[in-house]
Formats: sequence, structure tokens, C-alpha cells
Amino acid sequence: MIKNKLLKTALLAIPIFIGVCLLSFGTFYSYWNTASADKTCASCHEIQKSVHSQSMSTHRDLKCKECHGTALSNGFHSLEEKGMMVVNHVLKIKTEDIHMNEEQVLGVMDNCKRCHTSEFAKWTSGGHSADYKAIFTNKKHNSTEQMNFDCLRCHGMFNNGTVEELVEPLNRKGPWHLKDDKEMAARPTIPCLACHQVHQDGLTKKNPDYSNPKSIFYHKDSSKSNLTFYDRHEKMNFSVSDLPKLTLWEGKRAVKVSDDLLMRNCVQCHAPNATHQAGTSDDRTPRGVHKGLSCMACHDTHSNDARNSCIKCHPAISNCKLDVIKMNTTYADAKSPNNIHFVSCTDCHDGKQQQKLNLSNKIIKLYR
Amino acid sequence: MENSKKISRRKFLSLSLLGVGGVALISLNPFSKSTSSNWRFFTNDEGVLVDALAEQIIPTDESMGARDAGATNFIDKQLMGPYIRYQETYRKGLKAIQETCKTNFKKSFEALEWEEQTKFLQSMEAGKIEGSNWEKGFDKEFFELIRSHTMQSFYGSPRHGGNKNNVSYKMMRLDYPVIIGQNRYKV
Repeated sequence: MIKNKLLKTALLAIPIFIGVCLLSFGTFYSYWNTASADKTCASCHEIQKSVHSQSMSTHRDLKCKECHGTALSNGFHSLEEKGMMVVNHVLKIKTEDIHMNEEQVLGVMDNCKRCHTSEFAKWTSGGHSADYKAIFTNKKHNSTEQMNFDCLRCHGMFNNGTVEELVEPLNRKGPWHLKDDKEMAARPTIPCLACHQVHQDGLTKKNPDYSNPKSIFYHKDSSKSNLTFYDRHEKMNFSVSDLPKLTLWEGKRAVKVSDDLLMRNCVQCHAPNATHQAGTSDDRTPRGVHKGLSCMACHDTHSNDARNSCIKCHPAISNCKLDVIKMNTTYADAKSPNNIHFVSCTDCHDGKQQQKLNLSNKIIKLYR
Repeated sequence: MENSKKISRRKFLSLSLLGVGGVALISLNPFSKSTSSNWRFFTNDEGVLVDALAEQIIPTDESMGARDAGATNFIDKQLMGPYIRYQETYRKGLKAIQETCKTNFKKSFEALEWEEQTKFLQSMEAGKIEGSNWEKGFDKEFFELIRSHTMQSFYGSPRHGGNKNNVSYKMMRLDYPVIIGQNRYKV
């Protein structure tokens, strides 16, 4: 009789216990995923800094899970990772500097494109969306220049491995292939977070007070931009306002470089050699007639497309009666010797055209 | 049969209460911070003192000083990491500075005039502070430690918690991250 009672009690208690456990977990999980970050994620001091910076960013209205997913988003991997955070916390192992691995960065990128559809489409159509296979197995490049550790500074900056672990053989003979072709081939080497930090300071969300002219945008400090550069060595994003301005030389003569902050990001990778001589390495800083211009004056920020950029500044037919779009420059023909980045007056204006120009100027003066 | 049903209800109620209690306990969030300090290791008062000490070591001029460059954040962060061995020294040294200032000047260190602060630190550097809080040579030793850590915070990489916005790199006109290209061939 007593045994029966115990058995019945146990039979009832076990499912109730399981039910209560599930209910408790469900309640806790729902609470965790719906309450504000201050009451959930930020209570874990390891990520307080990230939560705080996010609250100051343009993405301040998003919940953490909208970019990072929940503890169950990536199945066992996520659970293991979050579990280890708890273990490290209990064991007082310092885990303040949390970094996302490449898979997580690409996971965040999948979430970026949910809202930034247009930017993503532009990026996809441009050169910065090149994948690992296109970059690291390029025959022309690899046979000309020896691959080295620094390739990953601008291509694959979130990759935690080394170039040796990525591609073989590491010589100039080839043929080259990615060691983990299946996993790596189609991965982008320059994801959104290379230039954007989701947590970067954003503008305040407030309409200007039109009765107070100082609150209107053109009176505000324009020295800040939310663009950043991810430095692989430091494992951190540098705001463009903290990046150095390029100093460039043509021989001993200094070249005027644009003050545009956004350009500071470009020159981190499209950089001249160690002596900062113009045109060396991958330097494309505008010189000649275009000196002082920013990359952004011609290139779209996401697609890098420069089509139709000439007409932004030049009239369809220029003052010297030349159609700038059809002039003999790399804008009209990629094989032109007159590279648009450093084309000078004499590259296009031959003597005959100069005579025409002089005559035209004389006529203009006569009628003034 | 009826009896066993009555027992089940009681059991059900008690187990349910246990469950609700569990949920409430979890909702309290076991990871929440129990201390009210804004720092990892320092108390808020210690943080203010370290700010003042660091600012004396690298004062603000045309460029930011150590306080604005985040020296206290650097030291606080490192004391919970690689410099965990200095925790006790800091606690003892900071307490000694405040007690000495309160005895000698009736003020805390950060409330002293700039020149008084400088003189105090000069005495520390020379090992001339007297009092029961200072064992032989501890004043000099602690000054060296805090000076060294302030320098590290100011001139080191911002990833360690100091050198906010690359302030020292900008001051030294040091381009960082370095702008250097590859040995690009002519395409």
C-alpha cells in the first residue's frame, strides 16, 4: 500500500517537475529575449562595454539578438559558447575583450542585409565582395608576388588563422588551392564589419530646433564619422577620425591629399609603399588635375562604381570644348595611358587643342 | 482512490510553488553585479584618486592628459588581468596616500591644489613620505609602479584600455595603424 502511494506520488511528481523545469526555462528564456539589454545582457559585466556602446549607436533601437541571435540560434555551438561564458565568469577568468570569429562576423552580416538591402546589393556588385577563392588563388597575382601573412590585413581580416593555414602552396609557381575549399571558397574577404562597426557612435535621434540655427546640421561638428577600419593586428575597429591622414610625396614634392575622413579608410589598404611615394604599391590617391579630391568624389562607397562620376563636377562639354567623358582617359577606355587617378592637363591637351583654347579665351575676353 | 487524489493536489500545489519560486529566483538574474562601483577593481573613490595621480604624471597641455586618455581604466582593467599581482599594492598604496593627505592637509589628495599634489608626489618619488602607512621605501616603490602603469596606459595600444582615441599617437604624430602598401606590381 505504502509502496503504491510512493509510486503514484513519484509518477505524478516527475512529470510535474519536468513541466515546471520547462516552464521555468521557457519563462526565463522569454524574459531574456524580450527584456531590455540593461536588464539582461548588460548584467553580465563581460559585455557591459558592448551593450553601452550599442546604446549610443545608430542601431540603439535594435535588440542584441537581432544581430547576434539568441543562445539557441546556432544550436550546440551557441550553447557551448554561452555556457563557457558562465564557466569563465564563475572561475573569474578574464573575458572582457570578446571578439567575434569570422563565422559570427558573417552571421552578423546576414543580419545587416535584412535592412541594408540596397547597400548590400551595391557591395555585391563591387570589387570589395571578392571571395577567398578569387583573392587567394589568383594566378596573375600569386605568380607575380609572394603571398605572406600581411595579405590577411586587407583580405580576410577576421580570419583567425594564418595564410599558411589558408592556401597552398605558398610559392609563386602554383597551382594554388584553398586548404578548406568547401568552407572558405565563397566566403567574402571584406565583410561589412571591415569598415562598419555596428556599435559605433551614431547621431542623436532628435529633430533640429529650427528656431536655434546652431542645432541645424550644417553648424554641427562634421569631424566625426561612424565609419571605422578593422585592424586585424589590434583586433579592434579604429574610427576614421582616429586614423592618420596620408602624407604623400612625388619625389621630394608633397602631394595635396583630401581632408575627407572617409578616404582615411581607403588608404589603409590602397596604400603607397613605406616611403609614401605616390603611385607605388596600391596607391590611387588622386594627383594631377584631380589632386586633393577624395576617393568618394568619384567612387560609390559600397559598389566602388565610378561611372557617371565625371559629370558630378564637369559640365558635359568642358570649358575647353572637350567632352570629359569621351576624353582619352581610363574613364573612357581602361587601356588608355592617361589614368584618371593622375591624369594631367598635358595628357589630353595637345598643342592644337591648346591653340583652340587660347583662341576661345581671347574671344571670351573680347566679349566681356 | 479519493485519498490519493487529495495527496496529489497538495503535492501539485507544493511543487507548483517550488516551480514559481524557481522562476522568480532565476528572474532575479544570478549574474547581476552586487557592487556599486563603476570600476572593475577600484572603488569609486579610488578611481577619482587614480585619475588625479595619473593626471599629475601626464598632465593635459595642448594634448589630452592621462586622465582623459583613460589611464584609470587601463590600470583597473589590467589589475583584473595580467597585473592581478599588484591589487594589494594598489589598495594599500592608495589608502596610504589618502590617509597621509588627510593627516597632513585635512583634505583628500584630489582636493589639494595642483602644486601641493606635485610636491606630494615629488616627496613620494624621493622616498621622503613619513608615517605608519609607509614602510621603508614603499612610497618610492608605489610611485614608480603608478608612474610606470600610467606611461603604459598613455603610450600603449588602445586595445588595453588606455590611449583613448589614439591620443598619444596623435601627439607624437605617429601614423597608426601604419599606412603601408603591398609590393604591388604594375597591372
